[in-house]
Amino acid sequence: MIEGIPFRDDFLERYLCSHDISSPPFIRRFFKIADGVFQPEREEDVLKILKLAEEKRVPVIPRGGATSGYGGVIPVKGGFVMDFARMDRFEIDEDEKILISEPGVVWWDTEKELNRKNLSLRVYPTSAPSSTVGGWIAQNGYGVGSLAFGSIAENVSKLKVVDFSGIRDTRNIYLYAGLEGTTGIITKAWIRLREFEEMKAYAFHVSPEKAVKLAYSSEHHSALFLDRNYIKMKNSVCNDQIPEKDTLVIVSGKKMDGDESLGQEIWESRFYPMKIKRLGPGIIPAEVIVPCESLPNYLNRILKYNAGNEVWFIRGKVCSVLSFLPWDERKMSYTNKLRFTFKALKIAKKMGGKTYSSGLYLSKESKNVFKNYQELLEFKKEIDPHNLLNPMKIFPSGIIPGIIRIAEVFS
Amino acid sequence: MKINSSVINNEAFVCVQCHYCRVCPAYSILRWESVSPRGRMYLLRGMIKEEIEPDSKAVEDFYRCTTCGACETVCQTSIPLIEVWEIARAEFVNARKAPLPVHRKLREVAEKNGNPYGERREERAKWAQGYEFKDNAEILFFAGCTASYRMMELAKNTVEFFAKTQIDFTYAKEDEHCCGSPFLRTGQRDIAYEFFRKNFEEWKKRGVETIVTTCSGCYRTIGRDYPAIAEELGYRWEFEVIHTVHLIKEMIESGKLKFEKTDETVTFHDPCHLGRHMNTYHTPREILEEMGYQIVEMEHTMENSLCCGAGGGVKSQFKDLAMNIGRKRIDEAKRTGAEMIVSACPFCKLHLIHAADKKIEVRDIVELVNERAKPLNTD
Repeated sequence: MIEGIPFRDDFLERYLCSHDISSPPFIRRFFKIADGVFQPEREEDVLKILKLAEEKRVPVIPRGGATSGYGGVIPVKGGFVMDFARMDRFEIDEDEKILISEPGVVWWDTEKELNRKNLSLRVYPTSAPSSTVGGWIAQNGYGVGSLAFGSIAENVSKLKVVDFSGIRDTRNIYLYAGLEGTTGIITKAWIRLREFEEMKAYAFHVSPEKAVKLAYSSEHHSALFLDRNYIKMKNSVCNDQIPEKDTLVIVSGKKMDGDESLGQEIWESRFYPMKIKRLGPGIIPAEVIVPCESLPNYLNRILKYNAGNEVWFIRGKVCSVLSFLPWDERKMSYTNKLRFTFKALKIAKKMGGKTYSSGLYLSKESKNVFKNYQELLEFKKEIDPHNLLNPMKIFPSGIIPGIIRIAEVFS
Repeated sequence: MKINSSVINNEAFVCVQCHYCRVCPAYSILRWESVSPRGRMYLLRGMIKEEIEPDSKAVEDFYRCTTCGACETVCQTSIPLIEVWEIARAEFVNARKAPLPVHRKLREVAEKNGNPYGERREERAKWAQGYEFKDNAEILFFAGCTASYRMMELAKNTVEFFAKTQIDFTYAKEDEHCCGSPFLRTGQRDIAYEFFRKNFEEWKKRGVETIVTTCSGCYRTIGRDYPAIAEELGYRWEFEVIHTVHLIKEMIESGKLKFEKTDETVTFHDPCHLGRHMNTYHTPREILEEMGYQIVEMEHTMENSLCCGAGGGVKSQFKDLAMNIGRKRIDEAKRTGAEMIVSACPFCKLHLIHAADKKIEVRDIVELVNERAKPLNTD
């Protein structure tokens, strides 16, 4: 379609690039599929694709690893999917301790290379074996290392972005991080690194109250709390024999008196939170950010749903709670069970919490996610007057927010 | 097209779509979602949900997989992906959407000649001229099609090694049939069943108890597929099946085998059918070390090993893809600085030689073992 840029418009590839990891049971019928899939190889290609989209007035949807579940990569109104699989080059500035990366680079590939140079990522997602640099910045995620270093956006010093007016460098990270390509397409990122440090994982069987205190007891790198429900589920699918008790794992360069062997075992499974999907097969997820002091109360309030809960502690005394309720997604009752997602969010919000991300499904929550939402909305209108950059994501429009409101009422 | 397999009907919904399976060698070359294991799983799921009917493009991309099993190693939800791919291909064949043209041709020639290379049946044991074999023995050497017609030096080295170490064995010569591996991997199960019957009866006739093969593809097929086929067809399966490396290792351990030592540096390529499919990783390395070889591992090794690119019908149907994957493996081997890349499969050797383009020496472990093995009682 554009000379020199890999492109496919057969039904198969369009179908396969029109979903993420979510399994929405009923609103899916309102989604179109992509009109075509581009795989740009350089930022000039991205600009050419945007120009074509502008000319044809069709949406452009950037796609990284597509490992999120908020609908951010779904081409709801059709359009061109921009798959960054071929923009996967990176370099390391060892003197400045900066990773300079294209969007399609996979986080764990960089970490392996950084470790050889005695460097390390400050933060990376729990989907690091496949999650891409561009995708996670565009989601502004929290993950491993966020206890010490916050979100990924807090660790990005510069971005190269492409919009309809051209290609440029920017240090206004907040205009792009977490915006899922709605204000411009990230084509390069400068990411701050740390020196590699030998750390150990220590496990503690403690209550959520004690977990919060321990997690913030010193300057630790990461803290992960698994409740007993989640461990029970893990044990049943992995044939593990982890004690079925609430367990906190702290990763630190400082010596601690926790169980090192168990800590290491749980830590090594940090990339596999979804193993329990086999129990459904299927999962009803809920993912919220809550203030740490509310964590015990939050977990207590959602206890009756029998979900398994995984908690990542974040700098600033907030935590990300990821809850999994295994349920067979082929059953009619799956739709009914989805109420858990909304109920959990409602409970979190009452405690001063918010959704982890908004994307497509929870775009109406963006005002709570982004403190400067109005500024972002105005920027969006200025940059993308025809609303072609990943429409219906972050900035609510169309039928989805209404459907979600109805679903919330019934939750 | 309706999918009948209960395995696929369940596993398609177990898939998280996490894309950890991006390690797929075909995907790493082609980069399109339709070639990725995740994409294939989503296609199957879509077929179950009647959202997509696979067209010729979908089926073709489904067959770009070498069935190497790298995806299964990293799968977050432990899906038996190799089994899923093979069942799905059989379903495509049943629905008359497959086999692909070259795979169909392979079947036609195999039906006629008992091998997929189109070579004459009566020439199957041409490599064996000059060697003597017993008609009946407890141990049978199964040469396989590639070592019989293309990589004859592997068959020769194996029987020379057997003779040198006084192993009492039989070989079925022209009565050996293809094990059926190329057909099981491409979904054409019925002809593989036919070969099973012929081989089974031949082995029984010769009083065989143990089958030894130097080919990893044959080892996987006879060692893993045949017992399941036997059960399905009502045959009583009582054979022990081993790869030649297992026999060599056993002889080393029992003190029956000594080597002329070397200190050369080599790297070992794990054949997918020996490693991921049959869980044999350390044995060939231990043999190489016993001979004195210094092993330097490639970036992808053992269970994370990169496929040579030939398996699953890819070499025959998608030559460019197979060569690109093979070159990638050769580049990894060259980066180790090793003097040669050693494998334990004639099909891997055949393909790696093509991909290496004489830039690195490619050998099979049985050749090295035979060259360095000291005849018994002369140490």
